[in-house]
Parts: sequence; C-alpha cells; structure tokens
Amino acid sequence: MRLRRRLFSSKDPYAFKTTRGIFVDAMAENCACHYVKNAKYKKILDNYGFSPSDLKLPEDLENLPFIPTAVFKRHDLNTITPGTPFTLTATSSGTGGKMSRITFDIPTLWNALVMAIKVGKHRKLFSLKPCNYIIFGYKPHKSNKTAVTKTALATTWYAPALRRVFALKFNGTSYEPDLDGMVKAIEKFSHSKFPTRFMGFPSYTYFVMKMLDEKGMVCKLPAGSKILLGGGWKQFYKEKVEKDTFYALAEKVLGVKDTDIVEFFGAVEHPVLYADCVKHRFHIPVYSQVMIRDPKDFSDMGYGRTGLINLMTPLAGSSPILSVMTDDLGILHDTPCECGIDSPWLEVIGRVGLKDIKTCAAGAEELLKGGKDK
Amino acid sequence: MILSNGIIYESDKQDEILSGLEEKIYETLKGPSLTPDIVISALDRLASRIDNGEFDDIIATLDLPGVDDMKARIIAMLRKDSLQYRLSVELGDSYSPSSSFVTDPPHGMEKITVRRVPLGTIFHIAAGNVDALPAYSVAEGLITGNINILKLPSADNGLTVKIMETLIEEEPLIKGYVHIFDTPSTDVHAMLKMASMSDAVSVWGGEAAVTAIRQMAPSGIKLIEWGHKLSFCYISGDYKKHEKALRELAQHIMITNGLLCSSCQTVYIDTDDMSDISGFCSYFLPILEEAASSHATNDIGGIAESSLRRRTEEINSILTGKPAAIYGNGCSLIPCEDSELVLSDLWGNIPVKRLPRSRILPVLREKKHFLQTAGLIADDPDVISDILIRSGVTRIMTPGKMSESFLGEGHDGTYSFERYTRVVDSNIG
Repeated sequence: MRLRRRLFSSKDPYAFKTTRGIFVDAMAENCACHYVKNAKYKKILDNYGFSPSDLKLPEDLENLPFIPTAVFKRHDLNTITPGTPFTLTATSSGTGGKMSRITFDIPTLWNALVMAIKVGKHRKLFSLKPCNYIIFGYKPHKSNKTAVTKTALATTWYAPALRRVFALKFNGTSYEPDLDGMVKAIEKFSHSKFPTRFMGFPSYTYFVMKMLDEKGMVCKLPAGSKILLGGGWKQFYKEKVEKDTFYALAEKVLGVKDTDIVEFFGAVEHPVLYADCVKHRFHIPVYSQVMIRDPKDFSDMGYGRTGLINLMTPLAGSSPILSVMTDDLGILHDTPCECGIDSPWLEVIGRVGLKDIKTCAAGAEELLKGGKDK
Repeated sequence: MILSNGIIYESDKQDEILSGLEEKIYETLKGPSLTPDIVISALDRLASRIDNGEFDDIIATLDLPGVDDMKARIIAMLRKDSLQYRLSVELGDSYSPSSSFVTDPPHGMEKITVRRVPLGTIFHIAAGNVDALPAYSVAEGLITGNINILKLPSADNGLTVKIMETLIEEEPLIKGYVHIFDTPSTDVHAMLKMASMSDAVSVWGGEAAVTAIRQMAPSGIKLIEWGHKLSFCYISGDYKKHEKALRELAQHIMITNGLLCSSCQTVYIDTDDMSDISGFCSYFLPILEEAASSHATNDIGGIAESSLRRRTEEINSILTGKPAAIYGNGCSLIPCEDSELVLSDLWGNIPVKRLPRSRILPVLREKKHFLQTAGLIADDPDVISDILIRSGVTRIMTPGKMSESFLGEGHDGTYSFERYTRVVDSNIG
C-alpha cells in the first residue's frame, strides 16, 4: 500500500498536524483493500451504508464504521487467515477464554518496526550499552501468543540484553508470579556496573517496589536505568495508584526519576506504539488518529470531553483494524504540552462499566470486567 | 483497621491478634451466652439511633437510589418486633439456646432430648456489592448466638466497623462475639487461620470467590454459600391482558439494570413459535422505553457499556445472520432462537426467548445452581408455579416485586438463622 508507506516514512513521528491529509488517504487505501479482500468487513461496511470512496477528508473519519474490540474476540475478521506462512498472529490477553487473534503480514510488521524505531528514538530508548532486564510480564512460551508478551520481549531490543529475568513464569499449566525472585534480581542488578531496565505491567512493578519499601530496602539502580511500563493494571484495577505515587516510590526505592519512566499504551487490535512524553502524556503519532465518541450516539466529541476512545490506523493490511472502539473512556487534549511535541494527547480515564458497579447477578462481575464475553 | 473484643487496632496488628484469637474465643465460650433477646434489643436501639440521624453522614456517601426509602426499610427490619417475627418464622416460636424438647417417636422408639444451639464460630467472607452486607451477615450470626470473625471486602468504607462499634456500645457483651479484619483476599494464610478457628464459613460473592473458598476451606468445615444468582420472567397466555404487570416488569428491568441476583435477566414466552417472540418484542418495547425514559442512567460508564454492547450485537447479527436486537431509546429486546437462561446485557437490554411449559424443567435445570427469582405473568399462574418450583427456583413473584424483600422470606431457598445453628441430641438426663 503506497500511501501507507508514505505515511510511515514520515521523518518526525509526531508531525501529526501536517500529515492528516496523507493519513486520510492511507486510511481510504487501507479501507478499500479490506473491503475488496475481506467479505466480512465488506458486509459490515455495506450494512452501515459506507463505502471506502466516502473517505476523502479528515471529517469523513467520523462516518467510518468502527468495530468494538469485543467483536474481534468473537469473530475471526482477519483479511489474511491466521497461520498463513510468513505471518505472525498475536492475541489479546483473553481473560475468560475469549481473545482477539490478529494476523500481521510482513509489510505490516515492517511498518510496525519502522514506527517502533522512530518512536523509540524520539523517546531516547535506544542505547548501545548492554543492560539487565527485569520483565514484569510473561516469560515467552510456545503456548503464549499474546501481544503483550511479544511487545515486552521486543522492547528489550532497544538496548542489548545482558540477561532477562521474568516475573511471570509458566509452570506447565499456567503462569505464576515470582515477585520474591524479582526482589532478589533487583538487589543483584543494583550492584552491577550496567544499567537495569524494567519492562512490563505497572501492577507487578508497583507490587515489587512496595515489597522493597516494606522490607526497608533501597536498591539504587545504576545510572542509565529505566522503567518501561505497558499492559495496564488489568485485574488489579482496584490497586491502581496515581502516577505521582508510582513515580515517588520508584525514586525512593530504586533511585529512578520519573523522566526515566516511560509508559506505553496500545492494544493488539490497535498495535500503534504510544509512548508517553517526558511530561507523561500520550501524544498521538502520525500513524494513528484518536477520536473521542459520545457514548450515547457515537458522534465525535472533539477535544476536552470524556467519551469512548476510538483508535484509527492504516497500519495493517492483514486485518481490518483501521477503526477500533476500545472499552476505555478518555479525553483528547489539544492544549500545548511542555514537552514540545505539537500533537494532541490522549488521557485514558479507565475501563467502561468497571468502577463502582456492584452486582450479585451471576456472571455480571466477569461481564463488567470484560472477562467473559456473552 | 481491625475491631476485636471491642478495641480498634491498626491493620499491621493482624498476625498478633490472630495468634491470640483462639484463646479469646474459648474465654467467650466459657462466659455468658449471647441470647437472641439480648442482640435483638441492641439492634432495636441501633435502629433508633439510625432513625435519629446518627448515621446520616455515612448513608449520604453511599450514593444509593431511593436511599431515604431504604433507610426506612432498614430501620423497620431492625425493630424488635420485626426480628422476633423473623426468628419465630425461621426457628419456631420457642427458640432459645437454653430450651429443648423431648422427642416422642412412634412404635415405642427411644426418646431423646433435642436442643438447637449456635454453630459456634462463623467466619464471614463478605462481598462488597451491597454496602451494609458485612454488618448484616454478622448481625445474623449474633442473633443466633455465634462468635463472628469477619473479613471485610476490599471496598469497605468504614460503615461495618461503625455499625458494630455502635452495637457494642449498646450491648457490651457483644464485644467478645465480633472480630473484624480488613485482610486482603491475597492473604490466604490469614484467611486459613480464621477458617481453622471457625465451625463454619459463610461466603458471599460470585462464582470465582465461592470456588476459591471451597478449595481453600479446611476439610469438614461447614460451608454456607450465598453466591450470585440468575432470575427471569416467565410469561404465558395472553400477555396483553396483563398490561399492569408488563409495566411493572419494565420498571423492574430499568430500576435494577440487571445488577441484582433477583433482576430479570431473560424474558421467557410460553411458545415454540419465533413469530410470537417478535410479536411480544414489538408489543413490549414501547412499554420498556417508557420505563427507560424515567430511569435513564447518567453514569457515563453505564451508558458507554450499554452502547458498546449494542454495537457489538449489531455487528454480531450482521456477521451471523441471527435476528438483530430491537432497539428502543435506552433499552433493547433481543429475540433469541435458543432457550438458555442467560445473563442479560444489563442496563435494559433483555433477551427474549421461547420456552414452552413442557420444556421448563430441562431448560432451567441446566442452571439449577444459580436459579433464584421467577417473575410470573400467566393466565394459569398456579400451574406454572408448580413447574417452576420443581425446576429449582426459590422465589416466584409478580414482576414488580421480583427485587422486593419480605420479612419472613428465605434467602436463596433457605433460612439463615437455621443455617447458623445446629441441633444437639442427647439421651442423658
């Protein structure tokens, strides 16, 4: 896809405002590709009376039918069948047994790599100095196809790995956390002359930092160490803390300042790399567009208002993930950011239907947490 | 926060208190018994203090719809005459731990003396889905004379400890019978310690919580499970003659949003014909819409959840060719081809299914462990009620009263006071 290639070859990953024209063109190209090759996607668009040729201007994106992530959990919508040679399949975490399976062909993976390099460079994640990795995520296993596992491992390519220590280890049937093992590894690496990088779930990272604090331990990590976070708080949403609390604890027990803490946002159904800026905001890169939609009628709410997060990208030619509706509420801001990036930024408020809902109806808790799809 | 023997402690004292708790329990068991009258009188005085506004600040933070009505109901249910009535229904008029009766069996068989006494110590694992639930669970344990160890839900807001402190103020003897811990659910070691000191575990919660407790509970311990349930409405005959009941059903659906164990999750029609399902949906939708308009939620999370599910079902219908939902403003009815009893999509999005009366038993028995309330609209309610009872439901109500509570009713088909007591037989004396 020529126009997609042009978009992804943009030098500045955050030249958002000057690339909207090419973005829309790439979306139209992507939409047309899936419309022709994917009968299910065509059926959806036809039902909503939308044609790829309707995508001409940025305001037309509002009319592009979005697909909720829950649909990907129930149906295989891939344009290229999972398992086709020279493709990679990644899944969502799939609590409750239902998961999205998204296929990535080589051109898609290439564009994702280009994106990861440019965003990583911008956020100064690259380093030639080897480091020790503490991964608060799943140790790769052949049965684990989750995107969060693949992404965590891929993030360890930003700097050469001396060793990788995983918090969640596969015991033959399931994954078990080894937080005591992480404490030992942190203590050991704090004496190394090489930096340490954490990568993984903010929940487990926080729990281990708390363990250090409760034990009265301070393990100042070597200069150049970083904490990289991704995957969200998931089932530990009730234990989620404010960013300031997290950063303060990281500085206290590890000696890592918040400027060396980078959070990532994304989903297997929208595998665009959002890395927070030095002011910890998710600026929208050129590769995507975020629309906040009114929960009542799905209209575009613009900036500054809370609504459902609709994520768009022409990244994938192998799966029609060009407009995906998440389960998250958020706000899109266009106020200037002190980091200097001139691109809107997304504030994620939280999962729909989760907070404060109390129920005693059988299955409703799981339904509200998104674990069981009906 | 911990409350044990009437004293408040910081949470980090948990292990120290637990290590000495068994001794404290023995001391309490050796001391004066806690009779129902003592506890009921204390609860009656508590009701007066609630009525006088002493708890209004906390009640205001609960953000409950109809909170004034709810407060009035709670006060009424805590009154001496209400609790005594409940006791007489659940355990008989002459219940007291010191009373007994002698059996008089036929055929000259030997007589024995029978007493009903407290279980001993009950370990309550309360859910956070109803704000006063933990205190309610302990109160039931106290009325039946038990010592109570309570693990608070993680979302507890201090109300439980406040209620129990007030109760202890009213009746100091209660202090040895109440031990409350804010133990996190991940502290399995502490929970096992609490269970090991108890005669029974009373667990409230969903399938995951109940299953977890079953797996970790010591062998032989009595399990009293108050799990989550599924309820439905069954409609038979000419429903157009039951307009009032249909309006009440619509109100019930929109007020409870499918979140209660007694909420209507599925509407069943006594038919095998899909065109009857479509006909019902067309008839009932305007009624449901009217109820939706008067109970529209302002909660953005709830609105978003509902809208997302609606879009998901639309696309599901496009891809599978199955009948699409029929949408109203703020609600929907989903005609389904199968008959499985399922959870609705909540917030006024209700599946409507065929279930001819000849199939009620095999269909509902598939969900026998979860059945609770059947709302009923029928030309021959007695006949249908009989079938529903055989299928395993524990409540049969008019639709408008599906989520109402009644003094003297059971709880999921059983009486709590009976579950919290045991029978002791003796041929001595």
